[in-house]
Amino acid sequence: MYAWGNPWFRWSVVSLAALIVLSFLVGFVLLPSVQPDYTASGIWASICRAAGLPGNWGDSSSTVSKGQPTTGVVLVAAMAEPSSGDAVGRGATIAVQQCSMCHGAQGISAANAPNLAGQYPEVVIKQLHDYKRGDRASTLMQALARNLSDRDIADIAAYYDSLPKARTAPARYDETSAPALVRVGDPLRNIAPCIACHGGTDHKLGAPWLEGMPKEYLVVQLKDFKGGMRRNDSHGQMRNMTRQMSSTEIEQVADFYARRSTAGEGR
Amino acid sequence: MLAHFWVAFVAFLVAIVLGEWQMYVRSPLHAWVNNPEHYYRSVTAHGTVMAYVLPTLVAMGFGYSICELALKRPLIGLRFAWIGFWLVVAGTVMAALTVAGGKASVLYTFYPPMIASSFYYIGVVLVVVGSWIWVALMALNLRAWRKEHPGAPVPLAMFGNVAGAYLWAWTSVGAAIELLVLILPVSLGFKSTIDAGLSRVFFSWTLHAIVYFWLMPAYIAFYTIVPRAIGGRLYSDTMGRVAFVLFLVFSMPIGIHHLFADPQVGAGFKFVHAVMTAMVSVPTLLTVFTIVASVEIAGRLRGGRGLFGWVKALPWDNPMMLAVTFSFVMLGFGGAGGIINMSYQLNETIHNTQWVTGHFHLIFAGAIVIMYFMIAYDLWPQLTRCAPLPARLVKAQLWLWFVGMMVLSMPWHLVGLLGMPRRMAYYDYSHPALQPQAWTVTASTLGGLLLVISAVLFVYVLARARSNAETPVTFTFSLAANPSERTPAALNTFGLWVAMMIGLTIVNYGYPIAQLAVLPQTSVPAIPIGGP
Repeated sequence: MYAWGNPWFRWSVVSLAALIVLSFLVGFVLLPSVQPDYTASGIWASICRAAGLPGNWGDSSSTVSKGQPTTGVVLVAAMAEPSSGDAVGRGATIAVQQCSMCHGAQGISAANAPNLAGQYPEVVIKQLHDYKRGDRASTLMQALARNLSDRDIADIAAYYDSLPKARTAPARYDETSAPALVRVGDPLRNIAPCIACHGGTDHKLGAPWLEGMPKEYLVVQLKDFKGGMRRNDSHGQMRNMTRQMSSTEIEQVADFYARRSTAGEGR
Repeated sequence: MLAHFWVAFVAFLVAIVLGEWQMYVRSPLHAWVNNPEHYYRSVTAHGTVMAYVLPTLVAMGFGYSICELALKRPLIGLRFAWIGFWLVVAGTVMAALTVAGGKASVLYTFYPPMIASSFYYIGVVLVVVGSWIWVALMALNLRAWRKEHPGAPVPLAMFGNVAGAYLWAWTSVGAAIELLVLILPVSLGFKSTIDAGLSRVFFSWTLHAIVYFWLMPAYIAFYTIVPRAIGGRLYSDTMGRVAFVLFLVFSMPIGIHHLFADPQVGAGFKFVHAVMTAMVSVPTLLTVFTIVASVEIAGRLRGGRGLFGWVKALPWDNPMMLAVTFSFVMLGFGGAGGIINMSYQLNETIHNTQWVTGHFHLIFAGAIVIMYFMIAYDLWPQLTRCAPLPARLVKAQLWLWFVGMMVLSMPWHLVGLLGMPRRMAYYDYSHPALQPQAWTVTASTLGGLLLVISAVLFVYVLARARSNAETPVTFTFSLAANPSERTPAALNTFGLWVAMMIGLTIVNYGYPIAQLAVLPQTSVPAIPIGGP
């Protein structure tokens, strides 16, 4: 059976080997040889490229500019985990001294600053780091964040996470009062529904809790994303969503989220 | 065996209703589904049942039947067969509950970096492990038979059956590695990043050959049941064996044609996989030729004369004749579409469009599943000791399935060429560019409705079959036109072909996998599905 004398064995092995050699020759030598960008650095380089291993990953001499940094924060799931009471206590001390003037004593702002009560910890961590590095611009916040250590930031986030949210249920897909952009987005303009990331159908790591946020704050942020003034969304996700949105749509969406606050929040 | 078929067909019935719901909610007949997650939940359930549960159980049930009917000896390891069955059932229930709870809307192809609840993956693993028990039992039973019949040719049905089992064993290794090494550690919370590119390469290892695992029972039926059922002879037993071993060698190491648009695999390997994919059309063309020739024998035995006179003489009132015709028509359209999919260049036009959905529904749900129906109809008198099933209902069911499948999938092919993306929970028909295509989705929905009716009819026919306590007619497989006394050793054993299958896998997958595995910084943050 497994002898060269057996024609079945001989012919099967020989034809399979021939097929392999032939297809590799065509795929790795012949086809790359007619592609100018493959053959630029010789036959061996073109074979390597066809195998998925270019000689160098990205040409350092190329003229593609690097662009401005967007963020230095890598979001990891651990950031979203609840912290110890110790951290909450330390965070409370810092927050009462440095944050409560604008963000409210209980994390509910009466000054059009974003509400932080119940905000996801990884959101607070990311934004504070971005202010600290200068990836997100705000005269006030950049100055305040500059002196915070990594631990301070984590503790502040833990503290706000521990406070009760302004409203405990996210906007839902079956609320027909919600604007279409919130519920279903607009596929042909590549706008994803808000609730696909900000809670409702799904919550993605790093996307903030929006319900009850001051309308003015939301409008300014959406317009900043749209105009490219704010760019600390690491994959450009918010810039891509807002670029296609009209001013009216921005108003509508912001108004919807702002209205979702409970009575007695000071507004 | 009966238990396998019943679980398979009940799951099938549930999944087909889900499929029709998906078509309905995204057609112009229904407002946009506000929660796309519900849509993807349904797609995941539909895919998981249709791709893993239904074919695995049919292959297992049919495999055990072949073992007893073709080898003419009781199954060895009956107790293990039950363990395998219950593993599959437990896995199915576990995965289904997780999907129903909205914790696993990742589609049956998993798509890392999306990560579902680990219960879903463990459920799928249980289904696969249950089927591995079947693989082992098939190998053992064949060995025991060989011991009793040294040198005798293995019956063709059993030969194809064991080829399918070995094919599945090696095929499922890719997804098993992906699940156990890459996905489960993330899903269980040990890691928060995943190498999505490598995962997809491992899945492609399984993704294409699984299709041939689905196909094997249908091909076994073509070769060993169809000629007998329509009163003919199998044109060539050897051709059947050649087709089965070619599937064994070529169906596996070709999956990168699913990754033509993926940047992590080199263009050279994509081309090589396209060439090897073209090779799997060979056993299919051999099969079409052999079966048409066998059908011609039946036509001539019934008095058909001349170049085409035998076609008229065929037993067109025989459900099997109807089924094999429908199956070949759908296989023809689907296969032609498949050749476009596997061409490295042509693929660009239809990649990720509804064309692909149309293609695999036509091939799998059309050509293959219609043969699953026939396998069940053909085996039912053996399994339940019932009288032969009512031919009129059976034919009505087959017609509904064929017409429904064509009406479902042809519009998909059309709009796929126009660029309609697949896997969308809704389309904006108010947009002037999409409005002219809206009717196609309605048409597919109506085709889907016919399929649901057909599926209900199928289960009804099987369920109303009552035991009449008579000993059923002895089950036979088709006879070859020129029965040969001896079969070449190469076509009676699997060693050479399994070795070639593994060798070709190493050649075609070894480098891409090794390269991606050692390349640094290829992992991306996992995206857990089913958050608040």
